[in-house]
Amino acid sequence: MSTTTVGGPRAGGADRARRWHRARRSLHGVSFVLPNFLGFGLLTLGPVVALFAISFTNWNVFGKAKWVGLDNFTRLLKDTSFHRALLNTLYYSALHIPLTFALSLGLALLLDRKLRGVAFFRTAAFFPYVTSIVAIAIAWNLLFSKDFGPINQVLGFFGVADPPGWTASSSWSMPAVIIVGVWREMGYYMLLFLAGLQTVPPELHEAARIDGANAWQRFRNVTLPCLRPTTFFVTVMLTIGSFKVFDLILVMTDGGPGQSTLVLSQYIYQKGLVENRFGYASAISVVLFALCMVVTAVQFAVNRRRNG
Amino acid sequence: MQRSRYSVLAASLAALSLVATACGSDDPADAGGPVTLSMSAWTLSSTPEFQKLADAFHAQNPDIKVEFKEYDATNYDTQLTADLAAGSAPDVYVLKNLKNFVTYQSGDQLLDVSDVASSLGSSANGLANYKAEGVTYAVPYRQDSWYLYYNKDLFAKAGVQPPAATWTWADYEKAAEGLAKGLKDSGSPAKAAYQHVWQSTVQGLALAQTQGADLISGDYGYLAPYYKRALQLQQSGAQVDYGTASTNTLQYQAQFGTQQAAMMVMGSWYVATLVAQQKSGAAQAFQWGFAPAPQRDASTKDKPVTFGDPTGLGINAAIDEAKIAAAKKFLAFAAGEGGAAALASIGVTPATLTDTVTGAYFGVAGVPTDELSRFAFTNHDTKAENPVSPHTAAVQNVLRETHSAIMSGSSPVEAALDEAGKRVRSEVLQSK
Repeated sequence: MSTTTVGGPRAGGADRARRWHRARRSLHGVSFVLPNFLGFGLLTLGPVVALFAISFTNWNVFGKAKWVGLDNFTRLLKDTSFHRALLNTLYYSALHIPLTFALSLGLALLLDRKLRGVAFFRTAAFFPYVTSIVAIAIAWNLLFSKDFGPINQVLGFFGVADPPGWTASSSWSMPAVIIVGVWREMGYYMLLFLAGLQTVPPELHEAARIDGANAWQRFRNVTLPCLRPTTFFVTVMLTIGSFKVFDLILVMTDGGPGQSTLVLSQYIYQKGLVENRFGYASAISVVLFALCMVVTAVQFAVNRRRNG
Repeated sequence: MQRSRYSVLAASLAALSLVATACGSDDPADAGGPVTLSMSAWTLSSTPEFQKLADAFHAQNPDIKVEFKEYDATNYDTQLTADLAAGSAPDVYVLKNLKNFVTYQSGDQLLDVSDVASSLGSSANGLANYKAEGVTYAVPYRQDSWYLYYNKDLFAKAGVQPPAATWTWADYEKAAEGLAKGLKDSGSPAKAAYQHVWQSTVQGLALAQTQGADLISGDYGYLAPYYKRALQLQQSGAQVDYGTASTNTLQYQAQFGTQQAAMMVMGSWYVATLVAQQKSGAAQAFQWGFAPAPQRDASTKDKPVTFGDPTGLGINAAIDEAKIAAAKKFLAFAAGEGGAAALASIGVTPATLTDTVTGAYFGVAGVPTDELSRFAFTNHDTKAENPVSPHTAAVQNVLRETHSAIMSGSSPVEAALDEAGKRVRSEVLQSK
């Protein structure tokens, strides 16, 4: 009884102290993550939510937006330029993703050895990724120049009588942009693959070698399975990056000649920032977002099935 | 004690509010004293017209000062639109082109300046473009027009007669052929002409010079003869082809300024640029002049038809009310003879042209003073490249893509123009 009487307030005080201590620790934790969450909420989540809302309006940046329901989306169904931009985006992605994947993996395998000057070659391969996109576009445009460009001169040396017009030709402009895109990004993905290759246990290779597996068999049955988390990450990032391609095309070809290199991101830019049709531009952004989500979801599902 | 604490707090707040009020009343406009207006501008280091206007105005109105907010020249409209939407745009802003006037006007971002416009009378060229539903929302201070620039030395070298005020496009083509041959024979590497990659170089003149042509019609057959001529000239080698000019990012200033082309159709702003570049050494020293843009036929020889957009000044609808009078005063000055004379004195083509202004323009050292250049400067009918319409920006986008398709040889002329018409009708004219 006396224990209860004496100990009660003490126990209550200890509880309060513990609760206060816990709350203080939580507050400390929250205070550390809050700036990041606030930044994310204000600069990422807010605009994304606003984007969805604006896509159902005819907002032109000034004044009030008028709710137009699904008008923007139904208009997209009939918009031939949007269809062209969508097809071009898929065209770019269909070539850019596998080419970048294969070349960056090949480069990583090549530079994963103990070679003399390997650090220099790794840096050289990564260098385009950190170079200004404008400088890259200007330099490659000069290389692609139809009459004076070194590329066509080399092709001429090898007997190509009618070399392509590259960025000045509607059929060759997209391949030209893809070549530059692959060249620019393969260094970055090479680094990711290099990091992945470090995680492959050498003893597995050793065991396979003892079992008589040749280089291709070791790559196919040891390296690739061990690299699965990296290849999955690279594929997802490459896919999203390819669907969003913008700056390179804007500077190299500005979507032309004609609409031969017009992609979805540039179409969004045109409708939004050039024509001030932010409602319509938002609707196109929603479609691009949905496209990225669907493809990424499929990639996740396939990956889960493989791992399972 | 409690009470005295509250008293101290109240006194502190009162003192603070007094200080704040004092700071607020520091705005000279409230007191009728000196006023500082903010104004948009771009690349101040190489575009002296803004400072010139501000200085000339301040000299006449010592109580009003104009300070600049600098924007990126290429992304001017995007950045200004963002600032207007955010409420942080300057008091007075430049309407860099007519294409976006509707956006600002229909978005209630411009103040009614009809009173300023009526004080200018009919002397300011391009004023009518800024009128909507009977109200004027901006006034022009510059009115550029496109001329034919020619290199007198290269014409003499090729043995070709220099341009005349009565030149038609047929004369231009004939001269281009003669120049191409003459320059080659004389061992000069220069081309007969340079046509820059912009859509304006073909479409602006076609729209201005073709009777009944309408940018918003969705019918672009009127562009065909102009495109066929341009393609023919590049196929014959008389001018650099579009692919080379775009992939090599050729600069028109360098093409004409370093004598790589004997003729070039370009806007009147290039006069001031070439004069400055010859002075600084960025362009070579040679004899040059400018003539009216070649005409479709001889019927317009007395008043050659060309194109060009005015550059206007408007007042931000969100301006502090106390500054409105000063801002209107500045607009009246900039678009009137005072501003025009100041601009002309640095080789910029103002919207208001009077004898005094013309005198000031041709008094600039380096500006060609021959009869033909004077005729081109003073006598022309300038049509707008971007007629004011809510559809203009979108139509220009479609026509920009059409231009690159035709000039690169990716699409035959008629097919590309048909396609442009279809796209404009379905994507632009039917859109909300």
